[in-house]
Amino acid sequence: MKAPRWHIVVIVAAALAFPLIVRSDYYVHMFILALLWVVIGSSWNLLAGYTGQVSFGHAIFFGIGAYTAGLCATKLGISAWWGMLLGGPIASLIGLVIGWICFRLRGPYFALATIAVGEIFRLAAVVWRSLTGGMQGILLMQSFRSKLPYYYLALAIAFGCIYAIHRVMRSKWGYYFIAIREDQDAAESMGVNAFRYKSLSLVVSSFFTGLAGAFYMNYMAFIDPEVVFSLHHISIMAILVGIIGGVGTLWGPPLGAFIMVFLQETFRSSFFGLGPRWVSELHVLVFGLLVIFVILYMANGIVGDWDKIRRLGSSKAGAASASAGKGS
Amino acid sequence: MRRALAALLCLSLLCTLGGGLAWAQETLRVGIILPLTGAKAKFGEIEKLSFDLALKEINDAGGINGKKLEFLYEDDTGRPEVARSAAEKLITKDKVVMLGGGYGSSETFAIAGVAQQSRIPFLVNTGSDDKITEQGWEYVFRLNPPVSEYPKALESFLTEVVKPKTAAILYENTNFGSSGSQEFKEICKRLGIEVVVDEGYEHGGVDFKPILVKVKDKNPDLVYMISYVMDASLLMRQSMELRIKPKLFVGGAAGFTLPEFPQNAGKASEKVFSATLWYQTLKYPGAMDYYNKFVSTFNKDTEYHGAEAYAAAYVIADVLKRAKSTGADDIRKALSETDMMTVFGPVKFIAYDKKTNQNRLPTYLVQWIDGRLELVWPKELATKPYVYPIDWEAVWK
Amino acid sequence: MAVFIQTVVAGILMGGIYALVGIGMTLIMGVMKIINLAHGQLMMVAMYITYVLYEYLHLDPYVALLVTMPALFVLGSLLQRYLLNPLIKVESILPENQVLMTVGIGMVLTELARLIFHSDYKSVRPPYTSMSLYAGSIAFNLPMVIAFGIAVLLTIGLFIFLLKTDVGKSVRATAQNKEAALLLGVNAERITVFTYGLGAALVAAAGTLLLPIYYLFPDLGGAFTLKAFVITILGGLGSTVGAIVGGVVLGVSESLGATYISMALKDAVGMVIFLLVLIFLPGGLKRLTKI
Repeated sequence: MKAPRWHIVVIVAAALAFPLIVRSDYYVHMFILALLWVVIGSSWNLLAGYTGQVSFGHAIFFGIGAYTAGLCATKLGISAWWGMLLGGPIASLIGLVIGWICFRLRGPYFALATIAVGEIFRLAAVVWRSLTGGMQGILLMQSFRSKLPYYYLALAIAFGCIYAIHRVMRSKWGYYFIAIREDQDAAESMGVNAFRYKSLSLVVSSFFTGLAGAFYMNYMAFIDPEVVFSLHHISIMAILVGIIGGVGTLWGPPLGAFIMVFLQETFRSSFFGLGPRWVSELHVLVFGLLVIFVILYMANGIVGDWDKIRRLGSSKAGAASASAGKGS
Repeated sequence: MRRALAALLCLSLLCTLGGGLAWAQETLRVGIILPLTGAKAKFGEIEKLSFDLALKEINDAGGINGKKLEFLYEDDTGRPEVARSAAEKLITKDKVVMLGGGYGSSETFAIAGVAQQSRIPFLVNTGSDDKITEQGWEYVFRLNPPVSEYPKALESFLTEVVKPKTAAILYENTNFGSSGSQEFKEICKRLGIEVVVDEGYEHGGVDFKPILVKVKDKNPDLVYMISYVMDASLLMRQSMELRIKPKLFVGGAAGFTLPEFPQNAGKASEKVFSATLWYQTLKYPGAMDYYNKFVSTFNKDTEYHGAEAYAAAYVIADVLKRAKSTGADDIRKALSETDMMTVFGPVKFIAYDKKTNQNRLPTYLVQWIDGRLELVWPKELATKPYVYPIDWEAVWK
Repeated sequence: MAVFIQTVVAGILMGGIYALVGIGMTLIMGVMKIINLAHGQLMMVAMYITYVLYEYLHLDPYVALLVTMPALFVLGSLLQRYLLNPLIKVESILPENQVLMTVGIGMVLTELARLIFHSDYKSVRPPYTSMSLYAGSIAFNLPMVIAFGIAVLLTIGLFIFLLKTDVGKSVRATAQNKEAALLLGVNAERITVFTYGLGAALVAAAGTLLLPIYYLFPDLGGAFTLKAFVITILGGLGSTVGAIVGGVVLGVSESLGATYISMALKDAVGMVIFLLVLIFLPGGLKRLTKI
C-alpha cells in the first residue's frame, strides 16, 4: 500500500456521493448488484487467488447466508435482518465442515469436490421442502422502499470485506496463505499447518459470502434454490469476476464485479434500449469472449497485468517502472 | 492500477448516464416482462407475438383515448432475480404506468413483490402459483386461473366418468410443478383417490424409467403429470416403452398442449388428456379469430398462453381507457372495476377463498385424438367425444 | 423383483451413454491433468451438427457419426492448439488457468448455439426412437442398446489404440510422465492437441448417439459435464476400462437411488458417490482393477 492513498479516498467519496448525484433507482440498483458481486468475488479471491484453493462452490456459502436470513423470517418469525448477523457465522461454520472434507484434496480435485458439494446443497434445498419451501422459494417484503439504505449497507459490506482482506493479507496469515498457494509442500516443511491456514482462509471467505447472501435475501426479497445455489450463476460467476479483474490482487475482483454486472446489463437491455433488440441475446456471449481474451492475454487479470496493459497503451515504456507489484 | 479502477468507474457512470436520456412522447408505456431467451423462451415468444398482435389492433383502432399505447418488453431470461431487475428498470427508469406479462411462477412472484412495493399495478397473465394472489397485494391482479384450478374440469370428468381409486403424481421440481402437485393432492383427498406415487424430478432428465418403473409396479388408475414439453414427451415415450397402462394419462397443462408434444412423443402422445385453460373453439367472442389471425400472421400455432397474452393486452387497453389518470392508484382502481369479455373469457377481478384480485374462469380438458388436440370436457363444449376407456395396446401398436 | 430388474437394466443402459460421455474426459484429464469444463458443451456442438444433418440432409444419426466425430476432432484440436496450449507458457498466479479457459470456451459455445438455433428445443426422431426389445416384461430401449454396444466397441478400440500404436504409446507416455516423454522425443504439445481432439471426437459420439433418445437445447452441456467428472473420478484418470465401469456404476446407482430413495435426489446420488470416491478411493476403480 505504498501507492498514494488519494485514489482510495476518491473512490470512497465517489461511492458515497453516487446515489445522491445519480438519483435514478435503476442505476443505484445496478450498483447495489455490483457491490454484492464485489463481496462475492473478493471473498472467492481470498480463498482462490491468495490461498490457491480454487473453489467452484461459493454458491454454497451465498445460499446458506441467504437461506439463513430467509428462514429467520419464515421459520423463526423474526426479521430477516437477523440473517445479517447469523448468515456470516453460519456460512463460516458450514465452510469449516466443507473444508474438513475437501481440503484433503488438492488442485483440480479440490475444485471438483466443491462442485459436487455445491450441487448436493442445491438439490437438498430443492428436496427439503418442509424447511426451505423447495422450489417455491422464499418471498419477503423489502423493509425500505428507498434504495439508499440498501446501497449504503452494500457499500459498507463491500468496503468492510475489502478492508478485512487487506488486513488479513498484511498479517502473518497472509504470508502463510501465499506460501500455501505457491507450494503447499514447501510451506508445510517450513512448519506451516496448511490445513489450518486453508481453513482460516475459507472461514473468512465464507463469512463474507454468507453475509452477501443474507443481504441478497433482504434486498432482493426472493430466493429459491436455483437462484442462490446456482453453479453457473453464482459459483462460476464468482470465479470469472475474479479472473477478469485479477486473482490475487485486492482490487481485481471489485473491478471484475463492476465489469461483469455492467457488461451484462448493458447487453441484456440492448444498450439501455438504444440498440437493436437482438443485442440482448449477446449478453452472456460477450462476457464469455472477454473471459477467453483475458485469460489468453492477461493471465493475471486486468488489475494484475495493469502494468503490462499500460506499457502497451502508452509509448513511454520506460515509465513503467512497475511501481505496484502483484498483490498490492 | 487504482487509476484504472477510477477511470473505469467514471466510464461506466458516463455510459449509464448517457443511456438514461429521457425521451418524451405522447405515448402510454406499459412494461411487459417475459422470458425471451433461456429455456422458457418458447412460451415467451408466443406471448410476445400475441401482445404485439393485440397492440397493433389497439393502436390502429385509435389507441388509448387518442394516445398511443406502447409495450416495453423486458427479458427475464427465466430467472427470478433478472425478472426483478427488469421490473426495477421498467418502473424506475422507463416510468411505465403499469406492468404486464409474468410467465414463470417464480419470476412472476418476484415481479409481483416489486410491483406491490413500488405501488405499480401489475396484471399477471400466466404465472400460476396460487400464492401470487394470496398475499393480499392490492396492486397485483391475475387474469389466468391459479394452478390449483387447472384440473377443475378434470375433477368433474373424474367424478362423472372415470371414478379412479388410485393416482400417481409426477411433477417437475419447479415452483409451478411442486405447487401444482400439492394442489392436485388436495383434489385427490377430496375425491377419495389414494395417491400411490408422488415424486418430483429435476427437469431435463434423460431417463425417467426409475420412477416409471415404480408407477408401473403400483399400477394406478390415473397418472397425473406436471411437466414442460420435452419432459412430457420423454415421460410418455418411456411409459409406452415400459407398457404402463393406467386408465388414463393426464397432463397438467403447460407442456402437454403444445404442438411440440406430439411431434416429440409420436404415437405415445395419442389419447393423452391434458388440463387446459383455453381452446380456440370456445364460444368467447374473437377466440377463433385470434387463433386464425395468429396462425396466418406468424405462420405457427398458438395455444392458451398466447390467448392469455392477447386478452391481457386488451384488458390493459381497456383499463387505461377507463382510468381517470395515469396515476398508479387510478389505474389500480380501474383494474379492480374491470368487467369485460376477452378471447380468453370474461375478466373480472374478485376475491374468493384466500385470493384477491383474481379472475375466475372455468378450465377445460383436452385430449390428443388422431394427432389433433380436441376439447373433450365439459361435454357440452366438446369438439369431439372423449375416447375412454382406452385400449393402450391398440393405440401404441 | 421385476421393479428391481427393470431399474438395473435402465441403469446399465444409461451407464452406456454415461460411459461414452466420460471416456473422452478421462482421456483428456489423464493426459493433460486439466478438468475440461467445456466437455458437455462440445457434446452439445456435436448434437447440433447431428441435428442439422438429419433435418436438412436426412442423414441418419448413426451415419452422422462419421461426420460429427471428425468435425469435433478438428474443433477440439483447434481449441487445444490455439486457446489451451498457449496458456502453458503464460505465467500466472493460478495453475488452474486452463480449467478456467474451458469455462470460457463452454460459455461461448453455448451462447453461439443459442444465437444460431435459439433456445428452442430440437429433436431428432428417426422411427426407431421408441423401439424396444422385450425380455418378458423387461424393456430394453433399442437406441440405448445400440449406444451401449458402440460404447463398448469404442472402449475396446481406444484400449487397443493406446496399447499398440506408436501414437497411442506416446499418449500414454505423456500421461504418465510428461518430462520423461519429452526426453524420449515425444512432441508433447502435438500429443496434447491430438488427445484433446480425440476426447472431443469421443464425446461427439456420445452426443450423436444420445440425440435420438433425448433432445437438444443450448444449455444441455453443463449437466453432462458434471456426469463426465463423476465417471472419470470413479473410473480413474486415463483409464478407458474405468470409464465404462464408472459409467455403468453411476447409471445403476442413480437408477436405484431414483427408484428406492427419490427421483428428485437422483443427481445427488452421483455427487455423493463422487465425493466418497474422491476422498476414500483417490485413483478410482483403477486402483482396484489395475487397468
